[in-house]
Amino acid sequence: MRTASLSPGARFLGVDIGSLTVKVVLIGSDASILGRAVVPAGYGGQEAAARLVQQVLEGAPPGDRVAYTVVTGYGRVRYAAADEELSEISCHARGAYHLCPAARTVIDMGGQDSKVIRIDAAGRVHDFAMNDKCAAGTGRFLEVMAGALGVPVAELGDLALQSRGALSISSTCTVFAESEAISHMARGARREDVAAGLHQAIASRVLGLAARVGVEPAVMLTGGVALNAGLVAALEKLGACRLTVPLDPQVVGALGAALFARQKGRR
Amino acid sequence: MVERRYKKLNTSAELQRLMQWYYASARYLRVGRPLAWLTSGAPVEVLRAMGVTVLYPENYTALCGARREGAALCQVAEAHGYSQDLCSYARTDLGSIFDGERAPMHGLPRPDLLIACNNICGTVIKWYEAVARLYSVPLFVLDTPFLHDQVSESCLSFVVAQMEDMVRWVERVTGRHLDMQRLRETVRLANETTVLWGEIRALCKARPSPLNAPDLFINMAPIVVLRGTRSALRFYRHLLAEVEQRVRHGVGAIAVEKRRLLWDNIAIWHHLYRFYNYFVDYGACFVVDTYTGGWSQCMPEGDLLRGIAEAYATVFLNQSLKHRSEMMAGLMSEYGVDGFVMHCNRSCKPYSLGQYAIRREVMQRTGLPGLVIEADMCDERSYAEEPIRTRIQAFMESLGER
Repeated sequence: MRTASLSPGARFLGVDIGSLTVKVVLIGSDASILGRAVVPAGYGGQEAAARLVQQVLEGAPPGDRVAYTVVTGYGRVRYAAADEELSEISCHARGAYHLCPAARTVIDMGGQDSKVIRIDAAGRVHDFAMNDKCAAGTGRFLEVMAGALGVPVAELGDLALQSRGALSISSTCTVFAESEAISHMARGARREDVAAGLHQAIASRVLGLAARVGVEPAVMLTGGVALNAGLVAALEKLGACRLTVPLDPQVVGALGAALFARQKGRR
Repeated sequence: MVERRYKKLNTSAELQRLMQWYYASARYLRVGRPLAWLTSGAPVEVLRAMGVTVLYPENYTALCGARREGAALCQVAEAHGYSQDLCSYARTDLGSIFDGERAPMHGLPRPDLLIACNNICGTVIKWYEAVARLYSVPLFVLDTPFLHDQVSESCLSFVVAQMEDMVRWVERVTGRHLDMQRLRETVRLANETTVLWGEIRALCKARPSPLNAPDLFINMAPIVVLRGTRSALRFYRHLLAEVEQRVRHGVGAIAVEKRRLLWDNIAIWHHLYRFYNYFVDYGACFVVDTYTGGWSQCMPEGDLLRGIAEAYATVFLNQSLKHRSEMMAGLMSEYGVDGFVMHCNRSCKPYSLGQYAIRREVMQRTGLPGLVIEADMCDERSYAEEPIRTRIQAFMESLGER
């Protein structure tokens, strides 16, 4: 049994080992964020996670040792340094609800998964849907498409926003969508119009996923893909809804994990 | 081999012997009796009463799937031009015909006649047409119109007329005669066995449940392939006795039953233990399923052909989504479950199409959560371990919060 009350200096760690990036969030007993960081996952993400935890701890103000650690994300099963592993669904829901208690729908678009989570007024997961075994509508899709268009992935969204007429990309498969994009380019299409078409294709796929569980406002968009302004615009336009994007959308899952760690460490 | 984490049944050795005897006798002990291949929803009682030996490619291919031979045989069929989108039972069966050397038991023995009933799906028609071509054997297709609402008189007489055609057709093809007295006896045996199967399933309303769905999946084989025989009846008497004993002594299928779930769709044969173990890790037991309930419907015994026609025309896969969601919600309240899991089975279109609509309807009716898992019954290439694990974990965590 752990002590029932928290010492004021107690700290809690959330680690999110995703397919493309590793995220770490350190919080205090009052749930304030003491440190956070994101790095590319590399091979398997385990080493990157260990280094990043070290880095976050060193960068944070001095305090007690970490009382409890929760790990989430695809690398969670192999990460031995955690007290507990929880699914990304639970962690994203918790993190999003903490940042925005009005949120009832969370759309998380990560490296290899996109998921739509419905949460109730108490922040509990009411229902969820995840993409099937397919990379369409994920960060990986955007990376592949950025490669095809010859632009850095971070600039892809802004490029799409410059379009005056999005081209149609009918396929929802990453591999086929890439060849569609390439044939558009071969016919001399403007790069921004191809980019805009790709963003619309992703947005419509994610909204299709959202329709399975139903969308109720407020809607929060999390995950690395939320950094892409072109996609946010495409989602808002096609879905006819306003999206809330947190300041640091990539760490919402790790924040949720840290909040669970705080809850569990308190018991 | 992954071990099961639920209690083994004492009758499992008897089941294994029974199934071995069934396959061996169809191959070696026919003594001149013709051999028919049937779909799982075909009225076997008629053939049984005529002394025709029957085999079920669906049962055989499920067995190939459980041995993880499904994908290899599917690939054989794909190399012959069959699409990967085709049902994996069909592909596995065709693969076993094309390459018998590779197939478990070297495939099924060559049929003399084929009977396909489309009450379970439309694929069986094209599948059996292909088999008929490959072996140059005759095929009878029994057409049971899809029931958008109740079964109508015209629908029933349409099916009865075809049953009469079927009897004449089998008599012509095999030179055997249908004795109505023998048919009555076969139907009586089949009904008696069906009642036992229903009782076994109903015992799972107990807490803890004496069986987990994988037990039902494994033990359903005789109710399908040996329906209307004394051997099946004997087996289910023994199984019922064992399950009753478990209930009397409060013995559950899994060590600690914390959650009770309903299963929808055909089993994931190639990951039977591994997949259901994930749920056992969370103390979750599948106490009821829609799949094995497909064989718990009795035939009215008055007008024999009419009774058989009615039972086979009204199987749940031949009925509307409304009927199916009502059935599911009904089972959920009867068995006191906390949620449900639907296998979105790439192979089985009639079972999987509309699952999201059923899910929404059932969630609204019961207020209980449902999870959809994407996989395939027989083709292990459509099974992605990690995404499936993540979904199960998230679902069980959200159940825990309730």
